[in-house]
Amino acid sequence: MAAQASLQEVKPYDRARALSAFKIGDVTFYWVTRLSAIAVLLILGGIILSLVVGAWPAIKAFGLEFLVTRRWAPNLEPTPVLGALGPIYGTLVTSFLAMLIAVPVGLGIAVFLTEFCPPVLRRPVGIAIELLAGIPSIIYGMWGFFVLAPFMTDHFQPFFINLFEGVPVLGTIFAGPPSYLSLFNASVVLAIMILPFITAISRDVFSTVPPMLKESAYGLGCTTWEVVRNVVVPFTRAGVLGGVMLALGRALGETMAVTFIIGNSFQINGSIFSPGTTISAAIASEFGEASGLHMSALILLGLLLFVLTFIVLACARLMLARLDAAAGK
Amino acid sequence: MSDVQVMPQTSGHAPAAGRAAPVKLEVRNLDFFYGANKALKNINLRLETNSVTAFIGPSGCGKSTLLRVLNRMYDLYPGQKAEGEVLLDGENILNPGVDLNLLRARVGMVFQKPTPFPMTIYDNIAFGIKLYENLSKSELDGRVEHALRGSALWNEVKDKLNASGLSLSGGQQQRLCIARTVAIQPEVILFDEPCSALDPISTAKVEELIDELKAKYTIAIVTHNMQQAARVSEHTAFMYLGELVEFDETQRIFTAPSMRQTQDYITGRFG
Repeated sequence: MAAQASLQEVKPYDRARALSAFKIGDVTFYWVTRLSAIAVLLILGGIILSLVVGAWPAIKAFGLEFLVTRRWAPNLEPTPVLGALGPIYGTLVTSFLAMLIAVPVGLGIAVFLTEFCPPVLRRPVGIAIELLAGIPSIIYGMWGFFVLAPFMTDHFQPFFINLFEGVPVLGTIFAGPPSYLSLFNASVVLAIMILPFITAISRDVFSTVPPMLKESAYGLGCTTWEVVRNVVVPFTRAGVLGGVMLALGRALGETMAVTFIIGNSFQINGSIFSPGTTISAAIASEFGEASGLHMSALILLGLLLFVLTFIVLACARLMLARLDAAAGK
Repeated sequence: MSDVQVMPQTSGHAPAAGRAAPVKLEVRNLDFFYGANKALKNINLRLETNSVTAFIGPSGCGKSTLLRVLNRMYDLYPGQKAEGEVLLDGENILNPGVDLNLLRARVGMVFQKPTPFPMTIYDNIAFGIKLYENLSKSELDGRVEHALRGSALWNEVKDKLNASGLSLSGGQQQRLCIARTVAIQPEVILFDEPCSALDPISTAKVEELIDELKAKYTIAIVTHNMQQAARVSEHTAFMYLGELVEFDETQRIFTAPSMRQTQDYITGRFG
């Protein structure tokens, strides 16, 4: 009765006016979100444009030769000879090796954390992984230079050099002498740096698999390995691939830690134990004293890195589309 | 399959006094714990070979828990444990030495919601078969077709075996899951509210299927739908607060239950 009475006492209100007040908010919100989205495009376009403008003298001077020239002689008279093959090679090799190490280990940790780990350990290990992601790269650089590189060089490299001595192809890849400053050592540091991205993201997406879906696979008599391989990973592959690509993006662009231990040499001799350089390490170590064509070539290197990253992302999308097609989506 | 066990009638909960049907699964003095919380209290019941047994009762009464003991699904989760005996063909499956993968191949399960694997319709069926048998492509094709026919799905999917299992309707997905379970030739099939996410027509199809499956399998079904229990099962167990209140022939449970609580539940007075 009381409720009925109070319903009748409610005064009619101006519905149109109340709605128009909402409308102002709606329009504002619409424009704020829209402008934010447009801003992203403008910033991206601006960066590409300024890279192209800055790199133009180098593009004009070297053309496509830039991509296949090994020599890097900025001080040569009368005109410097500059080629990007060394840094491109170093970038690809270090990123590839880092992924080779970090992807299986990172996924392994994620699988352990979601499928096997006793609950007591789950949080501490998870937090440790996230802390690993938070360590500034300069610290990885110093640690790599003073601790990891000597260890790898004294114990790990000689083993492989001896193991593959005289074997065709492998003998070249693992050719000596051991070196503190090397592509290999840089790759190991990179692998440790990108590991947390792979682990954290795949752990998060693994835990989105509905328990009932996993139970139905266990219900058929699957082992944990079979469940992970046939149900958990296929169910989450978009997310896992996203994590792997984020990690690859970081590996391709990582500068500080790599600059410390890669040796900054533009030589290419085929061995992963020899010094090398990456695109970002080359830019970082030479930007200070560069000018003119040299500077322009460094900016062109930056543009190349941009393109490389873009290609990697495009390949990832393509791969995902193929996987979906194979699964019948 | 063949061992006919004539057990001494346990007091109170004995089904169909005087009948000695072959027993596939027997639960004896079963207690179940979620950590310190006792979810099942001294359960005793028997599932007869090639018959359907329904578990009914209000939410939280332990019927799904009981079902999950029968294939030891609870083992996936730390802190859950069962005490007592569950005899499958006379062998206690709660023994620590039991091979869980083989047990689950013998005791299949169909869940509340359809859970097709993220792969094609064909692979959804073939996946389970390939776990146990190494078949040629043509043999495998035959087995997949057989399983899909067995779950009355073949005519609906035969032209799109390479489409994703997720592209099917809910009812079709659930029949796909049944086909997947049947494909590995289990002996017992556990249904955990298999129709709770389905529309009435799909439900009717699944019930029809269960009726056909009991010719070859021993079936246990948990359901919230009492008409369903009455339609599909030979025996019904009514559970309440972790206890087995009454276990008898379905007809008797629904017409002349001997316990007051059962009567109240099936007439809708609580639950």
